[in-house]
Amino acid sequence: MKQINTDVLIMGSGLAGLAAAVTAAEKGLKVAVFEKRPFQGGGISNTPMMTMAVKEDKEYIDKAFNIHMSYTNWNADAAVVKTWIVNSCRIPKYIKDLGLDFQAIVPTPLEEIGAKRGYCGGFPNGYNLGDYYFFKARGKGHGAALICKNAAEKLVKLGGEIYFNSPVKTLIKEEDKVTGAIAFDKEGTEIKINAKAVIIASGGFSDNPEFIKEYTGHTYTNNNCDDGGNVLFNTFPNSQMTGDGQTAVWQIGGAKGSMGINGHNLVPGPGIIGNTPWIVFNETRTMQEQPYLWVNKLGQRFINEEMSNDHMTMGTAITSQKDKCGYIVFDEETVRHMEQKGLDYIYHIFPAERLHNVRAQFEELINAKKNNHIFLADTLEELCEQTGIDYENMKVTVDNYNKYCDQKHDDEFGKNPAFLHPLKEKKFYAMRVFKGGYQAMGGIKINGKCEVMGEDFRPIKGLYSAGDCAAGEVFGNPPTGGIGISSISFSQGFASADEAYKYINSYWRNIK
Amino acid sequence: MKITIKEYCIRCGLCQDIYPELFKYNSTDDKIDVNYDEIPDNLTEKARSAAADCAVTAIFIKVMN
Repeated sequence: MKQINTDVLIMGSGLAGLAAAVTAAEKGLKVAVFEKRPFQGGGISNTPMMTMAVKEDKEYIDKAFNIHMSYTNWNADAAVVKTWIVNSCRIPKYIKDLGLDFQAIVPTPLEEIGAKRGYCGGFPNGYNLGDYYFFKARGKGHGAALICKNAAEKLVKLGGEIYFNSPVKTLIKEEDKVTGAIAFDKEGTEIKINAKAVIIASGGFSDNPEFIKEYTGHTYTNNNCDDGGNVLFNTFPNSQMTGDGQTAVWQIGGAKGSMGINGHNLVPGPGIIGNTPWIVFNETRTMQEQPYLWVNKLGQRFINEEMSNDHMTMGTAITSQKDKCGYIVFDEETVRHMEQKGLDYIYHIFPAERLHNVRAQFEELINAKKNNHIFLADTLEELCEQTGIDYENMKVTVDNYNKYCDQKHDDEFGKNPAFLHPLKEKKFYAMRVFKGGYQAMGGIKINGKCEVMGEDFRPIKGLYSAGDCAAGEVFGNPPTGGIGISSISFSQGFASADEAYKYINSYWRNIK
Repeated sequence: MKITIKEYCIRCGLCQDIYPELFKYNSTDDKIDVNYDEIPDNLTEKARSAAADCAVTAIFIKVMN
């Protein structure tokens, strides 16, 4: 067995772990980061392209805080939310100090906080809470991956250490406080880490089908939803986020926090996206953003389709439907509209204004790629046969919808008449859409100081948590965050390091 | 020309998505394999682009004399 002594042990080298590590090292603490994979980074590296920071101004902070809390019916932990909002102000400087820049900054004026839908940040219900910072990336890469790389390099320059291929398995608790952990190196040799404080930043549990089933009610799929699963993840090919931190914390009496899946609408199956969500092989992702007719398996509408481009909302609405899926349906006239007049919603990630030969894209996906979630038919009846949508209901839905198109008023959900396109002209197109997970998150219950709470809701001394594993408390129960969740990871990373520093200085100062 | 991939590669698989002629994700060893020891002349431009597109500067090219 090897032994390592450090001030702060950090489990995980994603956005939160490295933000904590850099912050702690800058305060002069000795830092050791343990990472199970051979490189730095976490779920973040492959998902968000941006983050959200509230302006450092009392009025902005108060408004963002209260609006977010109202959105969760004050079901989220108020102190945890306040810590996130306040510390989010530090994010832009942290990224600049890593030698990185932003490709765009979209400010949210005070009057637009909670009033204007913006960048799918996911708080609250798609409304803006703060300023949006789009990371500047290299080439076709993702900016968050570069943030992790630069943070890891900065940590090493500051004297911190990163142990790769070294999973932390259990925490060491002596009396009422955590004093370290047991990890293993690549050869399987046990490492005892003695630490004055431990920060768990091990991420979510997107690669743990049992946790997903037990704690979120979803069924994991690694086969494009053809195996009966209903949630697929936008993570690395082998991201190994199995909830190790949650397991270790629960083992020593940590309370279970809110757990959920934060996800968007996504057509699964071959030919849609590559290893990373940035790389799309066709325009499917743009089509699924459009505000046309959406139905569930019963052939009934379930949402005002103006919400189609709000990822969290669609992800959540879809999973409330039969078999946890929905369908976007359109006809040939709508295809011409998308190809010639242009799209109603421009998708900021893939900002095409028009689509190109939708029919050929559908045919390729169906015939060459054998994608089971793409449908093309001459009649509505045939489309329903293929998709499994209830035809009798669908007939009524489409008759009504066409009437709304004629009268330019959606009697059902009051959708903007500009988005009403009838379904009359063959061919008829449909895509089956499931929830595409950004991450499965939560599980560790923390308080406003990022201290991990025991089952009695009292903090466990010396134990902190930040990032996806602790983000459940920010959204209430069940948590459904947004891609702006990176904002929480940064903020909790900073805050957990601040608090660990205070604890070490007060508690450990007189102990040798 | 040879391609080397640094240890800190994040295995995101982006290079395979864009340049499948050159890269393949190896799930057994959890790393990215380069399909050629020596990059054929017709792929050298793509190799340069791949180095420029990598999210974390993990792809390096070395031109042999």
